Amino acid sequence: MLRFALRRLLVALLVALAVSAASFLLVFLAGDPAVAMLGQGGRAEDAAALRTLYGFDRPLPIQYAAWLAKALVGDFGRSQFFNLPVAAILWERLPTTMTLGVCGLAFALALSLPLGILAALRPNSALDRIALLVAVTGQAIPSFWLGLMLIVLLGVVFPVLPISGADDWRGFVLPTVVLGYYATPGFMRLTRAGMIDVLEADFIRTARAKGLSAPDVVLRHALPNAIIPVVSLAAVQFGFMLSGSIVIESVFALNGVGRLAWESITRSDLPVVQAIVLVFAVIYVILTLAADLLNAWLDPRIRAA
Amino acid sequence: MAALLEVEDLHVRLPVAGGTLHAVRGIGFALQPGRTLCLVGESGCGKSLTALALMALLPRRAARDAARLSFAGTDLRSLPERRMAALRGDRMAMIFQDPMTSLNPTMRVGTQLVEALRRHRRVSAAAARDRAVALLERVGIAGAAARLGQYPHQFSGGQRQRLMLAMALMCEPQLLVADEPTTALDVTIQAQILRLLAEVQRELGLALLLITHDLGIVARMADEVAVMYAGEIVERGPAAAVFAAPQHPYTQGLLNCIPAPGRTLPGTPLAAIAGVVPSLVGDWRGCAFRARCSRARPACADDPVPTRTAAGRHSYRCVLSPAPAGREAAP
Ligand SMILES: Nc1ncnc2c1ncn2[C@@H]1O[C@H](COP(=O)(O)OP(=O)(O)OP(=O)(O)O)[C@@H](O)[C@H]1O
Ligand code: SF4
Ligand SMILES: [Mg+2]
Repeated sequence: MLRFALRRLLVALLVALAVSAASFLLVFLAGDPAVAMLGQGGRAEDAAALRTLYGFDRPLPIQYAAWLAKALVGDFGRSQFFNLPVAAILWERLPTTMTLGVCGLAFALALSLPLGILAALRPNSALDRIALLVAVTGQAIPSFWLGLMLIVLLGVVFPVLPISGADDWRGFVLPTVVLGYYATPGFMRLTRAGMIDVLEADFIRTARAKGLSAPDVVLRHALPNAIIPVVSLAAVQFGFMLSGSIVIESVFALNGVGRLAWESITRSDLPVVQAIVLVFAVIYVILTLAADLLNAWLDPRIRAA
Repeated sequence: MAALLEVEDLHVRLPVAGGTLHAVRGIGFALQPGRTLCLVGESGCGKSLTALALMALLPRRAARDAARLSFAGTDLRSLPERRMAALRGDRMAMIFQDPMTSLNPTMRVGTQLVEALRRHRRVSAAAARDRAVALLERVGIAGAAARLGQYPHQFSGGQRQRLMLAMALMCEPQLLVADEPTTALDVTIQAQILRLLAEVQRELGLALLLITHDLGIVARMADEVAVMYAGEIVERGPAAAVFAAPQHPYTQGLLNCIPAPGRTLPGTPLAAIAGVVPSLVGDWRGCAFRARCSRARPACADDPVPTRTAAGRHSYRCVLSPAPAGREAAP
């Protein structure tokens, strides 16, 4: 297990390095950063001055090394719009987005795992149909539309929940539902398919031949074998949720990183965009690593591979 | 002595594309405590479904009915699943054909070993573990205590079947159903597992229902034998009697298939019964073997095929009268 973990960690570090290079280059892909900072109608002398000030005239590898060295200690430069350190702005916004992501994922799993398991136990039953319906609607409804509908219904018509902001936990309920519901169908179908497969396996018959109770057979013997692809998907989905937070945070007026990303792009606040891309990418790498390790813990054969 | 297991007129039906597969068609047998009954027949004749029917482990779609299905005096036909589950793994246990897939790959073998015992008996975790270690040593897995924490993929095929056996014996069952326990193993391992099975049976006084398609195994292990063909038992009786004077043309054909030292000249092609097993979807009349039987006659198409007694408990289903002859009698 330790060898496996170390190998995966090494891979994750390499990926993170590649990702950091990509987010560094992002600034240059968008064109001359100095011109972008000045905006339309900037003068050439000012651009040249900026280039020298920010070191854009140095060779790229050197700029990258300098940028990375700072990023590693949490220094992402200054935001031109706020005139504050990028790290400080991120620290303020990140908790909202992460809370939203974690709650959304938890909501999606809490809904889809039981539904998927029950549907697999009785394929083609009424319950299976209901689960399918939940899945299909979850996939068909765009999340911004669902968000707006829920706001109208629960915020305006029956005002039980706040429709914007996150002053307390109640502000997170609707965004969590909207964000999580969108991820539910994938989890549910994967759980259902995996469970149907595993319940046919010989070792399930062995477990039943021992006289084990149905919950033991289903939850202890079948589920750990069926859940492995779901764990991998959860890591991917969490990443999608972070990017999805751009929409959700706008709809629900939450001050998270997603909204910050959107606003910074429109303002050409490049250091902020760059830092967000890097942080999200690193979170994604960490999640993938965590999913790999969790799967290796679930399935000893993966460790040996 | 009262029979431990009694089966009469057992049927198993499965819905399939194009109708109902009548996979087990009215079979019956009895098994005494401490004895071995071998259920033998070609692939697909319904041996596994018979075993699963006894254990109430049939696929959900399958329908089972019987005139009698009793284990240690308990009528299993109408037993609710809860009470059936209380018998399974405790007083009746089963091991399967493929030890590579019959163990849970994501669970430590120690956990898999103790769970039946902990489900059926009030024992401490430590006591259950001790019993698991003792049984593993008994079935020939060295250094058992250290191996409880390992996973199935760390064991060889033969070792996994030993694990399955130890697992089945955890609660000291009265009946062990073994469905082709050695088919998936190579020949030398097969012999070891069979010897082990015979030993533990003697030590524990187990009743053993041993399913196989290998008459060599029947000859070594069986007290009683039941020959199955196309969902029916066509001949049954004490193994010695059936081997000495097989009556049913199918049994005779099977026995002609195994080369015997002294009787088979080297270089003789291995005999096989020509023809294929009929489809059991839908209704069937008369003797199911008649398409392949060299002695078939018009009466063989009539229902019911008579059950005849050869001698004592040795009986068979065929229109032919008993022949006292040995193996060479037919065709
Ligand atoms: N789950 C199932 N669905 C449909 N048909 C099945 C199912 N299980 C078994 N059968 C069919 O029922 C018949 C009897 O099957 P069974 O497994 O009892 O045979 P068997 O004698 O054990 O054969 P083998 O020696 O190959 O294990 C076969 O024709 C088989 O194709
Ligand atoms: S009943 Fe007829 S067909 Fe069937 S085994 Fe006997 S002789 Fe052959
Ligand atoms: Mg079988």
